[in-house]
Amino acid sequence: MASPTSLSRESQGGPALAGLPGAPLPPRSPRRVAFSQTVSHWDFKVSPYLYISPFFLLFTVFGLFPLLYTAYVSVHEWGLLGGQGEFIGLDNFRRVLEDRFFWNSLRNTFSIFLLSSGPQILIALGLAALLDSQLRGKTFWRMSILVPYVVAPVAVALIFGNLFGDRFGLINQGLEAIGLDAIRWHVDTLPSHLAIATMVNWRWTGYNALIFLAAMQAIPRDMYEAAAIDGANKIRQFLSITVPMLRPTIIFVVITSTIGGLQIFAEPRLFDSAGLGGSDRQFQTITMYLWELGWRVRDLGMAAAVAWILFLVIVLIALLNLLLTRRIATAGGRR
Amino acid sequence: MQHPFRKRSKVALGALTAIGLSLTAACGGGTEASSGDNGKITLSIATFNEFGYEELIKEYEQLNPNIDVEHKKAGTANEHQDNLYTKLAAGSGLSDIEAVEVDWLSALVEQSDAFVDLSDPALEGRWLDWKTEAATTPDGKLIGYGTDIGPEGICYRADLFEKAGLPTDRDKVAAMFGTWDDYFAAGRDFVQKMPETAWYDASGATAQAMVNQVEFAYEDAENNVIAGENPEVKEIFETVTSLSEEGLSTKLTQWSEDWAAAFQNDGFATMACPGWMLGVIEGNAAGVKGWDIANVFPGGGGNWGGSYLTVPSQSEHPEEAKALAAWLTAPEQQIKAFQSKGTFPSQNEALADPVLLETTNKFFNNAPTGEILADRAEAVAFIPHKGPRYADINIAFQQAIQRVDEGKESADEAWSSFLSDVDRLG
Amino acid sequence: MTRRPGFLVYGLLFAFALGSMFPLYWSFLVGSHQADVMTKSLPPLLPGGYFFENASRVFGAVAFWKALVNSLIVSTVVASSVVFFSTLAGFAFAKLRFRGRDPLMVFVVATLAVPTQLGVIPLFIVMAKLGWTGTLWAVIVPGLVTAFGVFFMRQYLLDALPEELIEAARVDGCSMIRTFWHVAVPAARPAAAILGLFTFMATWTDFFWPLIVLPASNPTVQIALQQLQSGYYVDYSLVLAGAVLSTIPLLVLFVLAGRHLVSGIMAGAVKG
Repeated sequence: MASPTSLSRESQGGPALAGLPGAPLPPRSPRRVAFSQTVSHWDFKVSPYLYISPFFLLFTVFGLFPLLYTAYVSVHEWGLLGGQGEFIGLDNFRRVLEDRFFWNSLRNTFSIFLLSSGPQILIALGLAALLDSQLRGKTFWRMSILVPYVVAPVAVALIFGNLFGDRFGLINQGLEAIGLDAIRWHVDTLPSHLAIATMVNWRWTGYNALIFLAAMQAIPRDMYEAAAIDGANKIRQFLSITVPMLRPTIIFVVITSTIGGLQIFAEPRLFDSAGLGGSDRQFQTITMYLWELGWRVRDLGMAAAVAWILFLVIVLIALLNLLLTRRIATAGGRR
Repeated sequence: MQHPFRKRSKVALGALTAIGLSLTAACGGGTEASSGDNGKITLSIATFNEFGYEELIKEYEQLNPNIDVEHKKAGTANEHQDNLYTKLAAGSGLSDIEAVEVDWLSALVEQSDAFVDLSDPALEGRWLDWKTEAATTPDGKLIGYGTDIGPEGICYRADLFEKAGLPTDRDKVAAMFGTWDDYFAAGRDFVQKMPETAWYDASGATAQAMVNQVEFAYEDAENNVIAGENPEVKEIFETVTSLSEEGLSTKLTQWSEDWAAAFQNDGFATMACPGWMLGVIEGNAAGVKGWDIANVFPGGGGNWGGSYLTVPSQSEHPEEAKALAAWLTAPEQQIKAFQSKGTFPSQNEALADPVLLETTNKFFNNAPTGEILADRAEAVAFIPHKGPRYADINIAFQQAIQRVDEGKESADEAWSSFLSDVDRLG
Repeated sequence: MTRRPGFLVYGLLFAFALGSMFPLYWSFLVGSHQADVMTKSLPPLLPGGYFFENASRVFGAVAFWKALVNSLIVSTVVASSVVFFSTLAGFAFAKLRFRGRDPLMVFVVATLAVPTQLGVIPLFIVMAKLGWTGTLWAVIVPGLVTAFGVFFMRQYLLDALPEELIEAARVDGCSMIRTFWHVAVPAARPAAAILGLFTFMATWTDFFWPLIVLPASNPTVQIALQQLQSGYYVDYSLVLAGAVLSTIPLLVLFVLAGRHLVSGIMAGAVKG
C-alpha cells in the first residue's frame, strides 16, 4: 500500500532511524543537549507505535480472537447448536470446495461486484468533479447526494423491493406502459444482479464522491491555473492533474469497495423474503451462503471454512486491484 | 489558529464528560435478567411477530409486584431464530423465556440440555395432545409450553365466486371442498370462467397445506431422511406443478411483494388459511370486500405453524421464568391473546370457552371465526413429524416448486435437483 | 476552475439529488398516509395528513426517546473516537518512519477483509466475558477505532500533508505530538470531517450487531424500528413513519453541522 520509495527506504533502515533523512542533526555541543536529545530520540522511536497502538489493541480483543476462533472451528466438526466435535483437518474446506452452491455463490458475488464497483467509482469521480466547482448552494448539493447513506435499511429494502416487483413493481409497470416487456427482476440471474447492484450503487455513489471531493480540495489550485495557461481544457486537466493527484484516494476507494463488494450481504438477503437468494440461488452471495451454512444448515465448521476462503479470496483480489490501480494511476501521471 | 482550537477542545472535553456520565447512567439500568437490591426480579421474554402478550405482561407485573418483565420482540421469525441460535452457540445472552416456532422445535429438542424441563403434573392435559408431544424429548422431558396453533380452513372471495357462478354461502362452500380432488375440480371450473384470476394464492402454500397432512413427510420416526423416496411427497409435487400448468396457481412466491399485491388485484380466489392468516389477509387486502372463511379443509384437518415458550438453562431465574411461561400459556391468557392478535389457542379448555366460540370477524363477512377454527382444530388428528432437518428440506421442496412455476426447470428437472439438494443436506 | 458552472452541471446535480432524496420522500409519503396506501396499485404523490398520528403511534409502541438518546450517545462517542485515533494512526502510517510500518499497514487493511457474519459468535462470547452484553459498551467499544478509518486517514495524509511542513516543525524542535497537533490535524481536517460524518451515520444506521447484543429495554433507534415491524403483515405507515423519525436527527445534524463540515472542510491548511 505504501509507495515503492518508502518501501525501499524502510528496507535499508535497520534498527536505528538516525541514518534516515529527517533525523535530528548532530548536536553542536553534546553535553548541553544530551538530555533533550535522549528524550527526542525516544519520542521519535516510540511515538509511532504509541499512535497506532489503539487500533491494534482493540483489534486484538475484538478482531483477533474471533479470527482465531473461526480458524479453530474450521478444522473441527462443529454444529451450531451441538458444539465442538472431532478434529477433521481440512475436511470442511474440501466439502465447501465440492459444493456446487459455493461456486454458484462465488460467481454471483463477482457478477454483482463488477456491476456495482466499476460504475460506482467512475460516477463518483465524475460527481466529485462536478461538485468541485464554484457552485451556488454547495452545502446543499454535497449533502443531498449523501442522503441515501442515512436512510434506514428497512426503508431501503422496502422501497427497492417495491420498485423492482416482478409483476406489479413500478419499473415493470413503466416498461409495460411504453410497450416493452416486463423484466423478471427476482427470477432471472442477470436482472437480479442488476437490481441488487443498483441498490448498492444508490447507497454508495454519493459517499465515494464525497471522499473524492475531500481529496480534490487538497489539490493546489495553481496547478490548474498553470495547466489552463498551457491551454489544457477541463477534461485534460481532470485526466492529467486530478486523477494522478487523487492516486492514494482512488486506491483507498477501490480497495475498500472491493472488500465491501465481496462481502455484500444485506441487499441481496433482503431482496426476497426467504433470504436464500432465490429459487435457484441465482443471487446468493458468498456471505449469504456462509450464513445459510451456519444458521440454517447449522454446520458452523463448514461456515467457518467459507469465512476463511472468502478472506483469502478478498485479500487476493485486493492485491490484484492494487497493482492494477497503481499502474493505471501512474500511467495517467506520466502522460 | 491556536485560540479557537483550545476553546473547542474544552467544549469537546465537556461534551465527552457529559457523554461519559450519561453513558454510565444508560448502562447502569437493568440490563440482563438480574435481581435488584430491593429483591425485585427482572425476567426477559423474547418473541417474534405477534404473540399478543403486551397487555398480559402488564397484568402479570401487577399481580406480581416483585417481578419486572422485559419483552423483546423481533420483527420476523427469521431474525428471532438467528438471534436464538447465535446465543445458544455462544452459551449466553438468551432471554429467560424464548419463543420457538414449531418448525425449528425439533432441532432444539435434540439439544434438550440447553433447556429447562418444564414438565409439571399440575399442567397435564392443558394442551392438545399432539401439541405437547412435539415438545417432549424421547426421555420424557418437556422443553416448551404451547402457545398457539394454526388450524386451517379455506378462505375465499365470495364476490369472485359469485361471478364464476359458484355458491357463496360459507356452508355450501364447505360442502364443496371435502377432498383435495373436489377442491381442485372446483378450481378448474373457476379458472375456466375467470381466466384472469387464479384459484389459489401460491403453489408453495398449497403444497405446504398438503405436506402438513402427511405424518412422516421428509423424515421417518428415527429422523432418517426419506423425502426423496417418499411417494406422498412426490405426489404432492406432481399435483401442484401440473395444477400450475392448468392455471390454478398465481405462480407467485408466498410472502413476496407480488404475492402481497395480488390481494389487491383479484389475483386469486381462495387460499389455505390457518388462524393467524386472517390478520395477514385483512392487512394485505385492506379495502377489498368479499372475503369469507369456510369451515372445511380438504382431506381432513390440517395445522400450519404455532409456537412454544421455552426456558433456556442459561436463565438465572428458571423457576420464576417457568411460572411466567405457565401463566402466559394458561387458557384464560391465551384467549386474551387471541382477542388481541388472533393467535389461536392450543389449550383444550380454551377451545371450549364461550368467549372464544362467540368471536366473529367483521372483515370475513362476520364469520364465526372462533367456532370455525375450534372445529378445524378438532379435525386435526395428528401433527406431522418434524425432525431436525424438516425446515431445510421444506425450503428445498418449496424452491423446487418455485423453479417450475418460474419456468426455469421442467417438473422432472426440478424434482431431480430437489433430490440432490436433499442429499446435500442429509 | 474559476468559471461558474453552467446549466448542464446544475441539471446533472439536480438529477442526482432527486434520485438520492426520492426514497426519503417516499418514506415520508407512506408514513403520512393510512396503512392501506402501500397496497394501492398507484400510490399517491402528495403527503397525507396522518404523519403526526403515525408518529405518535411510534412513540406509543416503542421506547423511542430512550432509543434516540442511546443512538446519539453511541454515534457521538464512536465518531469522535474514530476520528481521533484514526487520524493519529493514519498520521503515523503516512508520515512517520518506523520499523515494520508497511507490513503493519498491510495488516490493518487485511483486517477489513475478515467477514463479519461469523465473528458474531466469538464476539458475543468476548462481550459476555467482559460483562458488557446488554450495555451500550458492547456497541461502542468495538467501534472506537476502525481499520477503515486508519486506512482512509493514511491515504489522505500521504498527499495532503507535505513533508516540508513536518520537517519544518521538527527543525523548530516540536515534539512528535505537537507536530501531530499543529501540523497534521489542520491538514487532516477535511478528511476528518468526512470520516466523522460517515462514522456517525454508519453507527446510527447499524442494526445487525446492536440487535443481537442490546435488550429491548435499552435499544438504539434501529432496534426500536425493528420492534415496530411485527407480524406477517407489516404496517408500512407505522414502520416508515418510524424510519422518517429516526432520520430526522441526522438531517438536523446535516443542517447544523453540514455547512461547517462540508464547507469548513475546504479551508484546509495545505492549500494556502
